[in-house]
Amino acid sequence: MLEINNLHVSIEEDGTEILKGLNLKIGAGEVHAIMGPNGSGKSTLASVLAGKDGYEITEGSVSFDGMDLLELDADVRAREGLFLAFQYPIELPGVSMSNFLKQAVSSVREHRGLDPLSAGDLLKMMKEKAALVHLDPSLKTRAVNEGFSGGEKKRNEIYQLAMLDPKLAILDETDSGLDIDALRIVADGVNTLRSPDRSFLVITHYQRLLDYIVPDFVHVLVGGKIVMTGGKELALELEEKGYDWIKGDASLAV
Amino acid sequence: MEMKTNESLLIEQFDKQIGLIASESGSSGTNRRRQAIKAFADAGFPGKKSESYKYTPVTKWVNSHFKNSSLRIQTTTKSAFEHIDGIHLRTANGQLISTAPEGYGEGLTISSLVEASSSNSDVIGQYLSTAVVLERDPFSALATAFAEDGVFIHVHSGVDLKSPIVIHHDALFENGFVQPRILIVAEKGSKVEIVEHFSHVEAGSSFENRVVEVFVAEEAEVDHVAVIERDSAALFVNGLFVHQAEKSKFRTNTITLGGGLVRNNLNFLPDAEECETHLHGLYVAKGKMHIDNHTLVDHAKPNCFSNEMFKGIVTDEATGVFNGKVLVRQDAQKTNAYQSSKSIVLDRNAQIYAKPELEIYADDVKCSHGATTGELDEDALFYLRTRGIKPEAAKLMLLEAFARDVVDLIDIDGVQEYLYRRLHEILTVSA
Repeated sequence: MLEINNLHVSIEEDGTEILKGLNLKIGAGEVHAIMGPNGSGKSTLASVLAGKDGYEITEGSVSFDGMDLLELDADVRAREGLFLAFQYPIELPGVSMSNFLKQAVSSVREHRGLDPLSAGDLLKMMKEKAALVHLDPSLKTRAVNEGFSGGEKKRNEIYQLAMLDPKLAILDETDSGLDIDALRIVADGVNTLRSPDRSFLVITHYQRLLDYIVPDFVHVLVGGKIVMTGGKELALELEEKGYDWIKGDASLAV
Repeated sequence: MEMKTNESLLIEQFDKQIGLIASESGSSGTNRRRQAIKAFADAGFPGKKSESYKYTPVTKWVNSHFKNSSLRIQTTTKSAFEHIDGIHLRTANGQLISTAPEGYGEGLTISSLVEASSSNSDVIGQYLSTAVVLERDPFSALATAFAEDGVFIHVHSGVDLKSPIVIHHDALFENGFVQPRILIVAEKGSKVEIVEHFSHVEAGSSFENRVVEVFVAEEAEVDHVAVIERDSAALFVNGLFVHQAEKSKFRTNTITLGGGLVRNNLNFLPDAEECETHLHGLYVAKGKMHIDNHTLVDHAKPNCFSNEMFKGIVTDEATGVFNGKVLVRQDAQKTNAYQSSKSIVLDRNAQIYAKPELEIYADDVKCSHGATTGELDEDALFYLRTRGIKPEAAKLMLLEAFARDVVDLIDIDGVQEYLYRRLHEILTVSA
């Protein structure tokens, strides 16, 4: 589904190198977690995969479902089935949730050769998917993320994920700022959306989320590289020992 | 008659004409005209040194050759607001060409100003040309000096007009120069909504220089909307002077979507306690359009509230100007005055000049202003694109949302829908 080879990424503005030869392979239906200390490049990876401007790819390649991902514009990536759940969802004053979802869903469906949904079917789908993350259906008249609580914003990301039916969903620190109840709702939503043809890349700082969204693989990102890969038990080990012992190893490895 | 808008020629012409104009409401009207032409003669058309026209050079525009014409012509063009359930009026060359529909309502007088000067001479004598401040703007002074005729709307005491008065300003002579005038008097406790539409008219380089005076008496409420969609060759100067008495409410929404050079001079005088003034505006400037909104809220008395919000979108080689002055005089304690202006610049060849001016002489007031100018929010665009929305569609969504804020404040059925549709059309090309 996704194959990252020797990815080197710098910040365009000042040339600071953030990712320094990252390798990662995600198969269809797999759930991968990336953990790492602050500043290790986790969010940069999410942004680069989603197609955000401001980064320079100096080396390496990313293939997504057989395509050269880095050649595609951000909106094309989304239509091809890549989804990013933002760490800090953006507020869009004046853009109603219903208009936003209508535009997004129709754009994605058109690209995938599907017939446009009737207004009734779209409404039905919105209701159904909102229920997955316990969002109030009345939110469709509200502006996107405007005045949403922290928890509502994160649930709204998973709601959009469900609406857009991606092949690969990247969750960027979806657990940050969530209390335990909201975390459980979000995780339940994600688990419902797990399927043999949908992969997940879960980026997180803490192990907590991985109690609920159980990954097939856990990778540790330190200094712009994946320095360790293991099963779900690696997350527990990290929780116990912190990142320092790996950092030590990583510096030896350089 | 061929006419040059050269100052001295205008003044000469005034001297010749003054004897010919029917002396409305006796000599006081004529005196006011004389004061007006004097104010215009003193100031002249704004030149390079004019502070209030610093970013809006008019010299080239006013030196075009115009035909002075206020002839009444009949028109049959379809009006955008025809479907609105209301009292429909029509002007051509600034003159009222339709009589108000029969049975348009008790307690309401609508007529031409000339007619009103005989049938309602006391009201005309009391109000006409008394709200306009001649020194504020030479265009308003000029329009006051030459005013021939226009529209008179008088809402009698205690009358609540349930349906709006819709004025279609829809025809102009080729290269016509007109100086129309509107007088609106809302008597004590009355309520009225007025919608004005300046439709797109192909009339070469026309010049409309109008003055609207609105008197909102005690506890009266006036809700006003002006939608300006003139041609890109048109010069349009819009002088609005609002006088408010105690506990009155006035609301205006000035939407400028078309015109070559448009200058909105919007002046508000809440002249008694507990007045509410809401002034909202939106403009979209494309091509080489130049749109200038100059506002003045003159808080003279205590305990009043004013809220101002202007938004603009400029693209191509267009220019937008906003100058919003809020003056709180020494007596105007407990004033609450808010102002915000926001603009989006879509092209590096487009320009915005925004200048908020707060002048406060009272010490117990709440006033604030904020002005922002920038490009479309990159983060918002990226967010939309990560949802599969194409860049053009994403831009359009954000621009429409930006503009919607102002349109949403219009409370008259049919106007909002029309503006949403027009904005969608206009912004689709820009996005």
